Amino acid sequence: MMLKMLTIIAAFAIFATACGGSDGGTTTEESPDTTEEAMEDTDADPEPEESSDTTEPESDAIVTEAEDDSDLEVVVGGVARIGLEAEVDGLNPTGSALSAPGMYMASQVFDNLVRADTNNQPVPFLAESFTPNDDFTSWEMKLREGITFHDGTPLNSEAIRANFEVVIADPLVGLAVAPFFPPVDEGALEIVDDLTVRYNLVDSNANFPTSFYGQLGMVASPTWLAAAAEDPTLNQAPVGTGPFVFESRSEDSVTRFVRNDNWWNGSANLDAIEFVPVTDPDVRSNLLLEGELNMLQTTNAASIEILAEDESIQNILDDTGEESFAMLNTSQPPFDDIRARQALTWATPRDNYNTLIGLGIQRPADQMFTPDSPYYNPDVVQEADDPDRAVEMAAEYCGAVPDSCTDGKINMELQWSGPSVVQTRIAELLDEGWSVAFNVEFQEVPQDQHIQETAFGLYNAVTWRQFGAINPGDDWVWLLCRTAGGISLNWPQVCDEERDELLLAAQATTDEAERAAIFQELVAKINQDYTYVFFFHTLWDIALAQSVKGVCNDVAPDGTTVLKCNTNGRTWMAGAFLSE
Amino acid sequence: MMIALLVAVSMLTFGAMSLLGDPLFNILGPVAGDTENPENLAKINAAKEQYYLDKPLPERYVRWAGDFLTGDFGVQFSTDGQPPVANLIKERLPRTLRLMVMAQILAVAIAIPWGVLAASRANKPSDRISTFTAFLFVSLPNFALAVILFYVFALKLDWLPDTYNATDPFFGFTHKHRFTQLLLPAFTLALPTASVYQRLLRTDLITTLQEDFILMARAKGESRRKVLYGHALRPSLFSVVTIFGINAGALIGGALVVEIYFRIPGVGTAIVEAVLREDFPVVLALVMIIATGFVVLNFLVDILYTFIDPRVRR
Amino acid sequence: MTDTLKPTDVEILDASDQVPADSIAKKKLGIGFWLAISWLVFIVGLAVFAPVLPLKDPDQNFIQTEEKENAITGRVTESPIQPPYAPSGDHLFGTDSDARDVLSRTIYGARVSLVVGFAAIAFGMLIGGSLGMIAGFFGGTFDKVVSFLFLVLLSFPALVLAILITTLAERSLFTISLTLGILAVAPVGRLARAATLVFAEREFVAASRTLGAKPSRILRREILPNVMIPMSALALLGMGVSIVAEGALAFLGLSVEKGSTWGKLIRTAVNSTSDLENAPWMAFTPIGALFLTVMALNFAGDRLRDYFDVKELSI
Repeated sequence: MMLKMLTIIAAFAIFATACGGSDGGTTTEESPDTTEEAMEDTDADPEPEESSDTTEPESDAIVTEAEDDSDLEVVVGGVARIGLEAEVDGLNPTGSALSAPGMYMASQVFDNLVRADTNNQPVPFLAESFTPNDDFTSWEMKLREGITFHDGTPLNSEAIRANFEVVIADPLVGLAVAPFFPPVDEGALEIVDDLTVRYNLVDSNANFPTSFYGQLGMVASPTWLAAAAEDPTLNQAPVGTGPFVFESRSEDSVTRFVRNDNWWNGSANLDAIEFVPVTDPDVRSNLLLEGELNMLQTTNAASIEILAEDESIQNILDDTGEESFAMLNTSQPPFDDIRARQALTWATPRDNYNTLIGLGIQRPADQMFTPDSPYYNPDVVQEADDPDRAVEMAAEYCGAVPDSCTDGKINMELQWSGPSVVQTRIAELLDEGWSVAFNVEFQEVPQDQHIQETAFGLYNAVTWRQFGAINPGDDWVWLLCRTAGGISLNWPQVCDEERDELLLAAQATTDEAERAAIFQELVAKINQDYTYVFFFHTLWDIALAQSVKGVCNDVAPDGTTVLKCNTNGRTWMAGAFLSE
Repeated sequence: MMIALLVAVSMLTFGAMSLLGDPLFNILGPVAGDTENPENLAKINAAKEQYYLDKPLPERYVRWAGDFLTGDFGVQFSTDGQPPVANLIKERLPRTLRLMVMAQILAVAIAIPWGVLAASRANKPSDRISTFTAFLFVSLPNFALAVILFYVFALKLDWLPDTYNATDPFFGFTHKHRFTQLLLPAFTLALPTASVYQRLLRTDLITTLQEDFILMARAKGESRRKVLYGHALRPSLFSVVTIFGINAGALIGGALVVEIYFRIPGVGTAIVEAVLREDFPVVLALVMIIATGFVVLNFLVDILYTFIDPRVRR
Repeated sequence: MTDTLKPTDVEILDASDQVPADSIAKKKLGIGFWLAISWLVFIVGLAVFAPVLPLKDPDQNFIQTEEKENAITGRVTESPIQPPYAPSGDHLFGTDSDARDVLSRTIYGARVSLVVGFAAIAFGMLIGGSLGMIAGFFGGTFDKVVSFLFLVLLSFPALVLAILITTLAERSLFTISLTLGILAVAPVGRLARAATLVFAEREFVAASRTLGAKPSRILRREILPNVMIPMSALALLGMGVSIVAEGALAFLGLSVEKGSTWGKLIRTAVNSTSDLENAPWMAFTPIGALFLTVMALNFAGDRLRDYFDVKELSI
């Protein structure tokens, strides 16, 4: 169980994903006009017949294998069993920090207000339309009519407000929301009519709907939210509007959802889905190969290699989401000094890391964008593997700040949450390189403490995974000045006004050429801050047995727009079915 | 005496956890460290009051002990929703007990024929080999034994699924899976235990075999097998029976490691998990339950000793 | 037997040798004893002299490369071969999945494992031994208190107690040794007390007493040397148990944070099922070293106890 509790770097991202509501993918080009067009749909097409594009369009280097199964006859019935990489604490999107497995489960019970299509365009889903004001500081969202939650509560403006208020008041999840809205009692959200609400923003945000791709876009039953506030054990029994209804949950064992026969967007094909946490990635893939599981999620490079070669398995691969990196805290010595950060960056054995941890399968990352993204800046290169320069710079730093050094090497701590074998391997591997210029102390602490100390800036260096938003503008939550200080989401606590201006400018426009230029400048700036040492683009694999079909057939309520089907390790199961 | 012992154990655990850990982080998460924000400070104080964390240690101990005795084990701090600890125990304890019962049955099933065989060939080469084998099993740490058994039977011979340490075997995938998933963990616990039983049985059997009634049975021309199993075995089981209880306690420690390796969500995994997350009420409750079981078992064994006059033994 | 710092099993095993036919052999230490001692000397020697031995750097990643032709460009480039590498002349026991030399890591791991084992039992001897002797010699309230304390310590499943301490304190070499040392106090102390009780009745002690020797002198000069004999056997057994306990802690991820121990090596090697299947040398080299060492300690301790015929002192 647990212990081997969190095998992967994923452990570190739990908090990250939760607060960011981040999703995989890269581009979003969209004007308010197109959004309004997209809203003109009425009823859902119960059986998706349109062709589905199962490959991720923007990942050239990463090939996907899922077959085009749109011609197959849909089979109704059956139970799909899905292997998750870890168990999660709770399934309340307004209160629990949802990790990748948590997002996977929650996505079946809850519908998002907005989903991304295969071109990473936002598509109103539970919402019917979005209408901004002239300067994009206020957005009206209209909901679809006649939708009810699994408990019979109607979906209306009051429900949206209840969710919003719980989220923004949550001491953790709220951190990612509150900085972008005026205080609740000063009209962050106004009810226009029974199905329309108006969001008032602090900034001009032309891409506002994309912030509903993730956890923040999931809408929970207000009745259930109120009950869960009284009895927190209800956080394990989510109530949403989604294609599946929560049935039972036994932690470390199985969580079971059954088909929602009254789903507003058609009807799921499977009778039920069961989520099983299997923390050992080898065992997880063996269970799939043996037929005990129907599908699984994994970021384990060795498993992906095996699964990708196996003919009986379909793989949906995506590495446009999060990046793995080492992160430095600039709020305390030694890394408050750019020379120490540079020395560490140059001493980092990045090649060995990518060979041994990424197994050469995950693409090395120079920045938060993959080369096929329009925002990719080809001039930004992640420096590393230059020990001579690191030694020189460490000597210079130690000359200036002898207090932070012993024997001519800079003293530092590397912290991770454990016990975790993989994290220990990573620490030893990094130390092997860093030790030319650093005296590295290891700190393996329980996960709660790790998140705690990272959020309060009580660390030197940590390994982390982040920057997975489909609209990279939404990653501003990790980068703005306003999220540094107190409980920071700007973990390295870098406050740079120029960087803020870039981020705000990128969000304020939907002009893709302009945005591309801004993001390229942004990643160059981040690179020169030396606060992140990027290792690789995290590669998510959703592996499916040959009999599982239709996973990528999920369509928008207009019945035609095919939706993006793998983002940061989750898929949507409404269209999935088991063929003979 | 027994009660004084348990009180001391509970005080020690309670004191250690209280002095070294801070349950607030578990209850509130990172907010617990944010004493500057007045809203969060209010939350911290409310939580402190709710769980009596602002009270002095002795008072907290007395409160806890009172609750514990009435069957209220508190709530799981580190689990979302903070369900009662009793739920966890209800779920986990039967699994661990099942594993241990299975291990004990296997141990006895292995030890009896092995012990009889060794005793009947006392000091012959085969007996020496069996002595050595027993010694190997006792010297082999159980985590190493777990790895070896898994490697040999699951990976190399492929007799058992190599998806062993998959997930909760009590949910299991299929019925077959469920049973086979418990086999290796049970064997890991059973083999060293069987070695101990076997050595005891061998010694007692050798003594019994020199008794008059055995010689008589032999003189009557009964088969060797009948003599061994029919006459000699029963009077020789005394030591095994008494050590049975003691070993049940020792098995708990072994079960912990084995449960972790084979990923069985029993008491062992629960306690390791809880300690790592500094989940105070869970650790306390589990340590107390294990210690109580341990002390009570030893007490019962003592009674057993007085019931059966030790002189019966030789 | 990870949880038994009370070496019940070993004692029981030993008690079974009360067969008349064995009694003659019992008075000799036997070749097995010397074999065990040789192994212990060998492994301790390796550990002590590891830095000057011609061993590979235990932390270095010896990534091997091969020339590979790119299917599209036709260019030949050096590309890394995926570790773990099988045993070869270069790496006698192979490498782990980070391309580090398994043999040298196992030998360096011995340094920590042996130090922890030794320090723990030394602590147990010092604290438990003196408490037990004083309690056994003077009796009275002090004896009652100490005996109760030992009982309390023994009522904890030992591994649970160890986990408790190690998670709450920093996991340095010192705290790990201390934790296991605390676990050793009760069993050692009980043996010391029992032995003291036996010897306190003996004639030479009584004689000393009538001659007016101070209790402290009797303890030191008369009782200690006699108690040391069974204790030396227990020390060997206890060191074995401590090494195993460290391994169990490491197996749970709770041993020292930095530096390798046998337990940590095993844990790393078995974490991935495919590593265990495809690169068994990673796991079985440290398992072998651990097993041989523990067996040697058990065997030597056992023989020693038989040799001095002290089993009546078993608790």
